[in-house]
Amino acid sequence: MIKLKQIRKSFGRTEVLKGIDLTVNKGQVVAILGPSGSGKTTLLRCINYLEKPGDGQISIGDLTVDCKRHSKKDIHALRQKSAMVFQQYHLFRHKTALENVMEGLVVVKKQPKEEARARSIELLEKVGLGNKLHAYPSELSGGQQQRVGIARALALNPEVILFDEPTSALDPELVGEVLAVIRKIAKEGITMIIVTHEMGFAQDVANHVVFMDGGVIVEEGRPNEIFTSPKEERTKQFLKRITPESVYSI
Amino acid sequence: MKLDFHFIWTAFLQLLTAVPTALAMTGVSVFSGLLIGTAVAVIRLYKVPVLHRAAAAYVTFIRGTPMLTHLLLIYFGLPMLVDAIAEGLGLPFRSVSIPMIGFAYIAFSITAGAYMSEVVRSGLLAVNRGQLEAAYSIGMSTPQAMRRIILPQAFAASLPNLSNMVIGMLHGSTLAFTVSVVEINAKAQIVATTNWKFFEAYLAAAVIFWGLTFIIERLTALAEKRFNLYNRGGVSS
Repeated sequence: MIKLKQIRKSFGRTEVLKGIDLTVNKGQVVAILGPSGSGKTTLLRCINYLEKPGDGQISIGDLTVDCKRHSKKDIHALRQKSAMVFQQYHLFRHKTALENVMEGLVVVKKQPKEEARARSIELLEKVGLGNKLHAYPSELSGGQQQRVGIARALALNPEVILFDEPTSALDPELVGEVLAVIRKIAKEGITMIIVTHEMGFAQDVANHVVFMDGGVIVEEGRPNEIFTSPKEERTKQFLKRITPESVYSI
Repeated sequence: MKLDFHFIWTAFLQLLTAVPTALAMTGVSVFSGLLIGTAVAVIRLYKVPVLHRAAAAYVTFIRGTPMLTHLLLIYFGLPMLVDAIAEGLGLPFRSVSIPMIGFAYIAFSITAGAYMSEVVRSGLLAVNRGQLEAAYSIGMSTPQAMRRIILPQAFAASLPNLSNMVIGMLHGSTLAFTVSVVEINAKAQIVATTNWKFFEAYLAAAVIFWGLTFIIERLTALAEKRFNLYNRGGVSS
């Protein structure tokens, strides 16, 4: 279970997160929606401590980190409980697909190489890249790179996988293959938090939807509630602007 | 004007005996320069408290003064310092027992370190910040991320500048003649004093330097191919 308590974050004088409370249960797939600048990516990055929150508390499993008083060791432990899939993939450029997935197992988890290799090959096959084990990121398409990124995150067996707009940098025809992989692993009961602009996908895969705007959570609930009968005015406006019907009916 | 080709050949053969000395000075200064430079670059880039100011001062002073000056300062300053310390501690060691080339090693390493720090820094800057974040996201510590992810990529990106440095230090090693180290140019002078054919002797030296530089260039090309394997397509990727 992941519990965020009163997470605050400012960049300079701009307060980006104004006290976020969020609870994610084990096995839940949470989609975070909201206009750009609403703080959703920052919130995700705070969970992995890629951004240091100014205040608040982050709990993952049995570990609780207070953002005002913590040691380097706490951060290190916190990061090992989560994994991130980045918008720009960020695969290690000097390592092959297989080495990218193995890296965390060998270096962080200290697994024997052979064991790590077997596990990594298994995962790459799962995301449909069994034939690209020895390709470098520069030799892979965006969709393939992102699938390696997902395999790399899965390898660590984290308590939660954080997806930061995983399909936003992809060519439209490659979005499908990445969403299919995420959908597949969602069914396996892995806890996930996904920041996305793919409304259809969020509605279909998530079992909890969070709508953020202006650094606060405006509304959250089951996908059906949020998409069909939002309570807040801001949610209604956002959904109206972004739903596919209105986008394509020009 | 008449060139004595036979003497050029004779000189060439004799100068070859000075090549190991020149290569030793180049090798030592580049290697320790790379260590110093990497430390300085990392300290400056990640703004390590206090140390980053010292590192910045080191770089600006060394780059602001000629390599020959470094050599002379070390050559005249270091013995005083060593003797004072040895005397203070009551040790029998005296600076006269330091071989001349030792001063060149030390001075040139200090020179190379300052320039090298900028070479490494440019390499580090060429590595996308996302690489560090990705390393953190899979649970690596900063030293692990540095060693396994950032530095290898920075090194690959620095190779062209690095080879420039190696060539620069090879040619700079000729300054060691001022502290009585017989490197290639000094050897040419010695060889020429037997028959005053300076031009021929220096011509032979030039050919040797060119040959050595050519080898360095080829080795760099090989290294680039090996370390930049992942960068298919270079700029266009």
